Amino acid sequence: MASKTIRVATDVGGTFTDLVAFETEDGTGLPRIVTAKSDTTPPNFEEGVLKVLEKGGIDPASVDFLAHGTTVVINALTERKGVKVGLITTEGFRDTLEIARGNRPDFFNLHYEKPKPFVPRYLRRELPGRMSYKGAEMVPLDLSGLKPILDDFKADGVQAVAICFLHSYADPSHEQKALAEVRKLWPEVSAVASHQITREWREYERTNTAVLSAYVQPIAERYLSRLADGLKEKGFSKSPYIMQSNCGVDSLEAISKIPVTMVESGPASGIWGAAELGKLIGEPDVLALDIGGTTAKCALIEDGQVKIMTDYWIERDRTTAGYPIMVPVVDLVEIGNGGGSIAWVDDFGKLHVGPQSAGAVPGPAAYGRGGTEATTTDANLWLGRINRDYFCGGEVVADMAAAEKAIKAVGEKLGTNADEAARGIIRIANNNMVNALKLVSLNRGHDPRDFTLVAFGGGGGMHAVALAGELGVKKVVVPAAASVFSAWGMMMSDLRRDYFVTRLADLKPGAAKGIEAVFAEAEDRARRQFEAEGIPTGNVRFLRHGKFRYQNQEHTTEVLLDAGEITDDRLSAIEQSFHETYEREYTYRLDAPVEMVGIHLVASAEVGKLPITERKPTGASADTALKGTRKVDYALDGIHDAAIYDGEKLEPGMTFSGPAVVEDPGTTIVVHPGNRVKIDGYCNIHIELQG
Amino acid sequence: MNKASNDPITLEIIQNSLQATADEMFAAMRKAAMSSIIYEVLDMGTGIMNAKGQLASSGAGIPAFIGVLDKAVKVIVQKFDKPGDIEPGDVFVTNDPYHGGVTHLNDIVVAMPVFAGGRIIAWTANIAHNSDIGGMAPGSLSGEATEIFQEGLRLPAVKLIAKGEPIKPVFEIMKVNSRMPDFLEGDVWAAIASVRIGAKRLSELAEKYGVETFERAMASFMDFGEQVSLAELAKLPHGTFELSEEQDDGRIYNAKITISDKEFVVDLSDNPDQDVGPTNTSRDGVMVCAQMIFKSLTDPYSPCNEGSFRPIRLETREGSVFHAKEPAPIGFYFETEVRVYDLMWRCLARHVPERLAAGHFSSICGTFIGGTHPDTGRHYTIIEPQLGGWGASYGRDGNSAIFSGFHGETFNTPAEISEARNGLFVDRMELNTTPGGEGKWTGGHGIRLDYRIRVDGSFLTAGYTRSRILPWPLDDGREGSPNYVEVLRREGGSERYSFVSGLTVNKDDVIRVVTGAGGGIGDPKERDPERIREDIRNGFTTPERAREVYGFGD
Repeated sequence: MASKTIRVATDVGGTFTDLVAFETEDGTGLPRIVTAKSDTTPPNFEEGVLKVLEKGGIDPASVDFLAHGTTVVINALTERKGVKVGLITTEGFRDTLEIARGNRPDFFNLHYEKPKPFVPRYLRRELPGRMSYKGAEMVPLDLSGLKPILDDFKADGVQAVAICFLHSYADPSHEQKALAEVRKLWPEVSAVASHQITREWREYERTNTAVLSAYVQPIAERYLSRLADGLKEKGFSKSPYIMQSNCGVDSLEAISKIPVTMVESGPASGIWGAAELGKLIGEPDVLALDIGGTTAKCALIEDGQVKIMTDYWIERDRTTAGYPIMVPVVDLVEIGNGGGSIAWVDDFGKLHVGPQSAGAVPGPAAYGRGGTEATTTDANLWLGRINRDYFCGGEVVADMAAAEKAIKAVGEKLGTNADEAARGIIRIANNNMVNALKLVSLNRGHDPRDFTLVAFGGGGGMHAVALAGELGVKKVVVPAAASVFSAWGMMMSDLRRDYFVTRLADLKPGAAKGIEAVFAEAEDRARRQFEAEGIPTGNVRFLRHGKFRYQNQEHTTEVLLDAGEITDDRLSAIEQSFHETYEREYTYRLDAPVEMVGIHLVASAEVGKLPITERKPTGASADTALKGTRKVDYALDGIHDAAIYDGEKLEPGMTFSGPAVVEDPGTTIVVHPGNRVKIDGYCNIHIELQG
Repeated sequence: MNKASNDPITLEIIQNSLQATADEMFAAMRKAAMSSIIYEVLDMGTGIMNAKGQLASSGAGIPAFIGVLDKAVKVIVQKFDKPGDIEPGDVFVTNDPYHGGVTHLNDIVVAMPVFAGGRIIAWTANIAHNSDIGGMAPGSLSGEATEIFQEGLRLPAVKLIAKGEPIKPVFEIMKVNSRMPDFLEGDVWAAIASVRIGAKRLSELAEKYGVETFERAMASFMDFGEQVSLAELAKLPHGTFELSEEQDDGRIYNAKITISDKEFVVDLSDNPDQDVGPTNTSRDGVMVCAQMIFKSLTDPYSPCNEGSFRPIRLETREGSVFHAKEPAPIGFYFETEVRVYDLMWRCLARHVPERLAAGHFSSICGTFIGGTHPDTGRHYTIIEPQLGGWGASYGRDGNSAIFSGFHGETFNTPAEISEARNGLFVDRMELNTTPGGEGKWTGGHGIRLDYRIRVDGSFLTAGYTRSRILPWPLDDGREGSPNYVEVLRREGGSERYSFVSGLTVNKDDVIRVVTGAGGGIGDPKERDPERIREDIRNGFTTPERAREVYGFGD
């Protein structure tokens, strides 16, 4: 028996590969946290991972649990670095991928450019065969044309084949047959059929999902297998877990088959961390806010549950339609507002912040690396919120002259001085983030006042209290080690799979049997998958959601169903809970028949969560962490002498009041006048706003 | 209230919130709507007006619905002008173009006053196409209509909810007049939920920053809109530009546009008398078209509000097709509006090529199919615009399969959903590769969409233009190809239509929707051979056609 347990999170980003290791003494449960950073090494990403382990002094042979997050999939998609894909689809529908949905979000722009399909027309081929929407075969599948198609694909250098047939969500047997035949005729080629990824309707979305999955599959498969081999060579004896977009981790073997589920895994671990933290501290209703260098991301967690959806698109914004990927992704809003976001004034004297970012190079003007444009970070420095003598944890000497020049330039365009300009920048940045937080709360029918704001990432603590004030949120929690909170979230993730299945049923007596069968079938599938990976079926937990709507509506409302078999006498209670959920979201209910459109089943099992031990208050006074005072400009709340605390010296049970600033190597927490602060037993910082 | 509330940053924050609120209203309505034309086609818009009914911000699925709501609210404000006429919690409804409705009777406008500090500070409103509002034909639209009375129930700007309490008789009258009462009710409630959410947000905003600050923010937002427009207007070529264009039915439409530093004058007074049939439009509707083209020409990206449109002056002749007089029918107003929109576009395209592309398929191609769903026994109606080809730009081929310039964030209906919902088969949905639109840069392709009917006694209504007079090219490019609908009968034979009303279609008849390519730009002989090779490889053209048009392989 080892005397300590080592859990490691590694994360491959576009520029850096990060490591956070949690060493837990068996018995005390106290973690020691080690962090390390190394360059990302494309295309042999596993090298960067092994390097960062070495840099952190972690022997892979000693690691008990390793979770891995990566941006390889999203980067391959956005940088167009995938492989050449051939598509096989239903006769009459080869152009579905190019027709897409025909929308033009940038509607006053008469030079709009439609996103180009990932597969050109000559590589989109058809086979006869047709299913009905009920999953009945109308025209048998004719595979006689498949060989010549594959011959053409080979001649054209195709490296991956995607298959998507009409109504395969209802009955995948045609796709299964075609896939088997492709594997038989051309065993070397990477191949995927849409039903392996999604069982929901809408043929364009499903086709595009299959195509994008095929596009990244060979790359991701190679990457994951090299990672597994590299770790094994260095003595790691377990199987690594891979972070997915649904806030869970999955086994490397499973994810290698449909790697596209990793597409939005970056923000997912932090959001999951916020959910877990909320449960730990008795605050299950959480608004999670992650402010990084270029973007801010937020999500709503209700009763400890994140919301997972399959309406995910890449490259979609107000000016372009983007591409759908129908995989389970945490429902989040991301905006171009982070510490490095650039403040600018338009031709009409209006101030904007972001979405352009100064990035890491040149970075904010105060980095002194040649940046001339004012960023949110410069404004925070100028107003004394960030300590100019402890910039970036003391690693960078703040170039205040450069910051002043940049902020003054903004002020001149606005006809005001540097102080006012800096306050304006902070207020506009905060307003952008308030609107994003409203999108995940108010717009979904939730009152933000009922939630606790959990803020993390490098910039979370700097803005959280001001945002909470705007939204009427009463409490902000900044987690211990907020800057590596995403890694903590990864350590807390379950092995999790979300199953979405489209199945129409009127919610009336006699329907229960059919509905129960859909759930039971999905649960069987889940159990088999988990079992194959050595997880005892008894450890698998299920959450059943039904997707309902009033007859004739299109969009569905998801309702969590109580555990247990669905029977006819439960239907009226289910219908009732749909009415309630619906009314909360839309302000009214109808006396119309209710129909089920499909299910969303969550299957999860714990796989080595980090144990957490609560510490007793030490009895020490917060004064022992006090570094001094300085003038801090709180924008609308005025200028005050703020007490400055050393975050690393804060201990459980300490309390103090605002105006104050907590300085940590990775982040700064701005506490407004009148706020009361308490450090909990896990060293999280709780900030109560005045009611 | 805080002391800093009158500074420019506060005004900016309020203005951002106006936009966020219009967007939230839009999202709320879309999600709750019953009809696919609302939630999928996004034939809807939301807006925020000031107390006078001037547009402050809008959320819209389609550009054609941006400038509609202010006109409706202005009529309501004028009509309910006595103290006590309008009270907190009231909701108003209109659908009549002769009473502020602008478009046609299917489009129901719902509007709600926003109160703060004891007075009206704003209005929230939305508009959406309802599936059936009564009238002589299913779906309420008929090419046979000769009076607006035949096009459905007229709601002449009346109160729908009084002090928060629904006025039951009005709801009952609306429902009993519709062939699809449940859809109508669901969609109207979605609209009410949306204006209520918007009103709640705005009154919170005014409460937080103060009513006067709120009103100042709205006013300065409109001034900002005007400044942007004037700045861009100065950059456009100044002068008077004229165009006459023959239509599919042989009539000639005339446009004269004068651009100066301060004004954008659209003179449409020299145009044919109003139609006996429903292809007329209200003057308000033509104004919306002028606003759309003006916005595309000036600044497609900045916010759109009353101020943005201040420089526009419109001249029309009452009793003409572009300024219909009551009781002229206007069910198919959209096809007339898309024509006048395209007319203005074409009139200016040669003079402002960097801002305007060549002509696109330029038709709503409104297609209405209805009947009984064979699996559920319920009635269904498809109401949908079609995708088509867009014209080339200088330096780039046009887009294939996009909705017309009238539409925007509009989504087509997936075949899988259509088959389940409507109980017909979609045999194919593919790009239309018939010749047309060639040039140095080619127009994009239209589509071919085959609906196979499953039940006898179903119906087809359609209204397509650019069926005979084709999408226009620029600089020696080729014209695009036609839009039309074809019915292939089960027993053989086929019929081709551009306008048809209530045509009976039976089991295994195929309704084939065909939309055209956009116009090309430049001499086809100058097209890059590499692009021609790609066109051939992708089956967009044949080697024979390539030789004939492009001189490829010569």
